[in-house]
Amino acid sequence: MTSMRRVQIGLAVLAFVIGIGVLLVVINGEHNNHRGAYAALALGIGWGFTGTGLYVWRRRPGSNIGPLMTAVGFSGFLKALAFSNGSLLFTIGSLGEVLIYALLVHLLLSFPSGRLESRPDRLLVAISYINTTVVPLAAFVFTDPAKEGCANCPPNPLLIDHSQAATVIGAAQVDIAVALLGAVVAVLYRRWRSTPSQRGAFAPVLAVGSLTFVLLMAGLIVEQAGLSSNLADGLTLALFGSIACLPFAFLVGLLRSRFSQAEAISSLVGRLGGGRGRGALRDALAEALGDPTLELAYWVPAQDAYVDAGGQVVSVDPAPAGRTRTVVEHENRRIAAILHDAQLEEERDFVKAVGAAAALTLENERLDAELRAHVEELRASRTRIVEAGYSERRRIERNLHDGAQQRLMALTMNLRLAREKVDSDATATAELLDEALGELSEATSELRELARGIHPAVLSDRGLDAALNGLASRAPVEVEVTETPRGRLPGPVESATYFVVSEALTNVARYAGADQASVRVAQHNGAVEVEVRDDGVGGADPELGTGLRGLSDRVAALDGRLEVVSPAGEGTTVRASIPCG
Amino acid sequence: MPPTVLIVDDHPSFRASARRMLEAGGYAVVGEAPDGASALAAVRELGPELVLLDIQLPDIDGFEVAERLSGNGGVPAIVLTSSRDSSDFGDAISASPARGFIPKSDLSGEAIAALIR
Repeated sequence: MTSMRRVQIGLAVLAFVIGIGVLLVVINGEHNNHRGAYAALALGIGWGFTGTGLYVWRRRPGSNIGPLMTAVGFSGFLKALAFSNGSLLFTIGSLGEVLIYALLVHLLLSFPSGRLESRPDRLLVAISYINTTVVPLAAFVFTDPAKEGCANCPPNPLLIDHSQAATVIGAAQVDIAVALLGAVVAVLYRRWRSTPSQRGAFAPVLAVGSLTFVLLMAGLIVEQAGLSSNLADGLTLALFGSIACLPFAFLVGLLRSRFSQAEAISSLVGRLGGGRGRGALRDALAEALGDPTLELAYWVPAQDAYVDAGGQVVSVDPAPAGRTRTVVEHENRRIAAILHDAQLEEERDFVKAVGAAAALTLENERLDAELRAHVEELRASRTRIVEAGYSERRRIERNLHDGAQQRLMALTMNLRLAREKVDSDATATAELLDEALGELSEATSELRELARGIHPAVLSDRGLDAALNGLASRAPVEVEVTETPRGRLPGPVESATYFVVSEALTNVARYAGADQASVRVAQHNGAVEVEVRDDGVGGADPELGTGLRGLSDRVAALDGRLEVVSPAGEGTTVRASIPCG
Repeated sequence: MPPTVLIVDDHPSFRASARRMLEAGGYAVVGEAPDGASALAAVRELGPELVLLDIQLPDIDGFEVAERLSGNGGVPAIVLTSSRDSSDFGDAISASPARGFIPKSDLSGEAIAALIR
């Protein structure tokens, strides 16, 4: 038996014994007009709250609701002690008489989570406790029961002096209580309105709780106004009756909440077997959880991201304000995340149960969403490849026009002039021919560079090792090629590898501020691993520049992946992995 | 007095060859401009009789430059040139106020003289 269980059993026994004692005290009370009714109600409140409180405590050990209900029960016994003929019990009862109302305010405001969620809630509860402990004590020391018209009441041992101060303090206490109770009822009403998913289950608690506070307010107002004592007595009895009903309202709420949850899950399972179509699952889950704003996000491991039903990447971490994310798993694999109203946090087990009931259907929809995400990615990459093709052709045209073509034009003119002067001016002719040769040499080297950019002939003719060493030797920083594959690889793989290294080395020269770089191309496990590493400044944009983005698409077209690791100050590493038979 | 010429082209190697070619052909090259805006300024400043104008310039193109220079009663005379063929420009050459077009590869003092005669 756990120590918690022992405490609970001990409290149950204590409540039973105190209940019997209180029964005797009330029945024998000589300053009470409704002994039978009060005795029954004292036991109803005391045993009702302690019994149901201990039950709820056991069912929901993590919640404060059970302990609070139990405390209300004991404070109900305390209240009944005010009917005692003995001076000590009478004093304890009189002082603790109204503590039950502060506990009820605490209980109702922390329902259903067991926690006081907001600062106003905590403030209302704090005022309640002060107004039911410190304030009555202040009034009690100035109160002589005999002079208050209770001839049969025992004497007050704490009496300092019977004075008007008691009346003034008492009136202030009542004013505070009435304002406080009005505020509490308003808060409860707003809470009921804003908890759509479990409204049916919470209704009995909030309704009976509000009725209790309204009766208490009415009683205080009647008493304050000095209206008929019959009306005051009637209201007091009605109030006690209402309080006595409250624990059972909690029980009904608890059971209804269980039933409504079971019903919601069984209805969800029924719906999952029926209609399909995009959005049907979301609608079914939204209805089961009573949250029309619910959203689903499906996990796509390849992208390391969540996507919506259309395959578009969505951000769910952190969840938006007022929302909570519940991750659904199936066979220990993450499938999806349900984004729902943060208020459902209180019903976390229920949300998990709903997620588990829908896990298989979620997995199907996840596969659909993953496929759409893949198609979406392919579409985007195809568009980028086509655009890259166009811009590459524009670049080649511009290079040809601005480079070799201009030089050939100048060459043509120089040759024409040389021909005109060949007979008359040998020196001028020689100068023109020298200049023409210079232009021709420049044009040739520009054409060679351009052709290499389109496709490096050395790659097709002599393979990766020669082509990569050629790149390394032309780079403006020191580049070491540490490893290359022994044999030849398929043409597209060699070509992609060459251009990854070429672009990476261009970036090293332009941006890295590096002293040296290394290139390693290794073939293992059916893939070519390409790595270009430099000792530069790092901090390259992980979103990749357009050059690397184009390469990423080129690598992806071969089912490979490209990544850039570039922590600031620690150099940059470009890695590509390309499947290779 | 030899006719005065302004050469407008963004490639320095072409400008140098053209200058030599035109001077050998009996023209006085009074200036060079690498783009449209400086060409317009140079025309205002130097008042050449002829402008040898490349069509593809880095800012405004040669057609636009010709259009802006044409408001002065055909002075200066404008000859368009390009490393491309005239057919690459559709009917833009015939629609322009220039005297004509000479591909860069055919450029010579005689070819220009034939156009502006």
